[in-house]
Amino acid sequence: MSYITAKVTHIDTFENINIVQFISNEHSLSMMSLSVSDKINLGTKVRLAVKPTHIAIAKNITGSLSYSNQLDSTITDIQNGKLLSSVMLKCNDIDFESIITLNSSIRMNLKVGDNVIALIKASDLSIDEIIDV
Amino acid sequence: MLSININKTLHGSSGEMDLDINIKIKEHDFVALTGESGSGKTTLLRTLAGLDDAKGKILLGNDVWLDSKINLAVQKRQIGFVFQDYALFENMNVEENLLFINKDKDLASKLLNITELSALKKRAVTTLSGGQKQRISLCRALMNRPKLLLMDEPLSALDPKMREKLQNEILILHKEFKTTTIMVSHDPSEIYKLSNRVIVLNKGKVINDGSPKDVLLKTTGSAKFSFEGKLLEIIKADVIYIAVISIGQQIVEVAVSQEEMKNLTIGNTVNLSTKAFTPNIK
Repeated sequence: MSYITAKVTHIDTFENINIVQFISNEHSLSMMSLSVSDKINLGTKVRLAVKPTHIAIAKNITGSLSYSNQLDSTITDIQNGKLLSSVMLKCNDIDFESIITLNSSIRMNLKVGDNVIALIKASDLSIDEIIDV
Repeated sequence: MLSININKTLHGSSGEMDLDINIKIKEHDFVALTGESGSGKTTLLRTLAGLDDAKGKILLGNDVWLDSKINLAVQKRQIGFVFQDYALFENMNVEENLLFINKDKDLASKLLNITELSALKKRAVTTLSGGQKQRISLCRALMNRPKLLLMDEPLSALDPKMREKLQNEILILHKEFKTTTIMVSHDPSEIYKLSNRVIVLNKGKVINDGSPKDVLLKTTGSAKFSFEGKLLEIIKADVIYIAVISIGQQIVEVAVSQEEMKNLTIGNTVNLSTKAFTPNIK
């Protein structure tokens, strides 16, 4: 899992579906969820989690994307296998990992030091634990 | 309302333990009692039945079953008890087992009808299958129209198909006879299907008490799809790893990255979870 510490800034609820907004180092994040624990309120500090295989990477993008979470990041390390590529990313103080196909990594010519955007769907972001109420 | 406020010292395999229970159960509730073995579930049922004594108070409505002066006998408590091992009278046939409790033949045939055992009423109980025996045991427990039906893991010895059939019959009988029912069970699907309240015991104390969904949905954070399993193996695959985990009777595989793998130890119990949006259902 890749983890992001963030603070709840807004919760929209309708028929058991919630969209929870967070802020983490000036980056706003958004999570789609079914019922949310009643311990989670505005201002609650949480640790968010996302599976490395659920993080996509974009470079030099134009146009618009439906991804609710777009984090400006820098590539700090790349480990290429035969088929897959593990890309380590840094966004402000947050380190996280993206697992993509080696083909994508080569096609995008990803290199250490590249500035990229990490893309996470709101439905792939989850609250791992409550740090501070 | 069934009010239970009892205290009793138990001598279990892990030393002395205080059974200390203070709960109220509403009329017509179906309560599932769960928790690790040795947590006091069976003792609680036996104390309610009057088979074990304890200090404290048990009240059903305004009737005192237990207090400092009174300890009402088993047969005066208006209870039905279903044991895991059936506890039938083996020298009697099916019908005789029921009529031994109460001579009401109409009630006996009604119960045998609901449980589809009418054709077997003259059969010796020793010739029956486990599922049939437990249905007779259930019918017998209802012969004195109990206000409180107590069942101690009644279905745990049965195969899954028979279990499901009996779950339906238990539910029908619970509604038909308007009993307050307390059933010891370890099976989450059974608890979810039958009960409207789950009480979890640990070392003689209530550690969780709520609706089946609240108690059984093992959520960590916002993950709604969550299981406990045992990590059996980690297999390297390209730049990632495959974790092999056993959950219940099944083996599952989960792809993990090298970073995720660092915190895993083979043989450990792990929590496996994902969001409600991810799993496919076919």
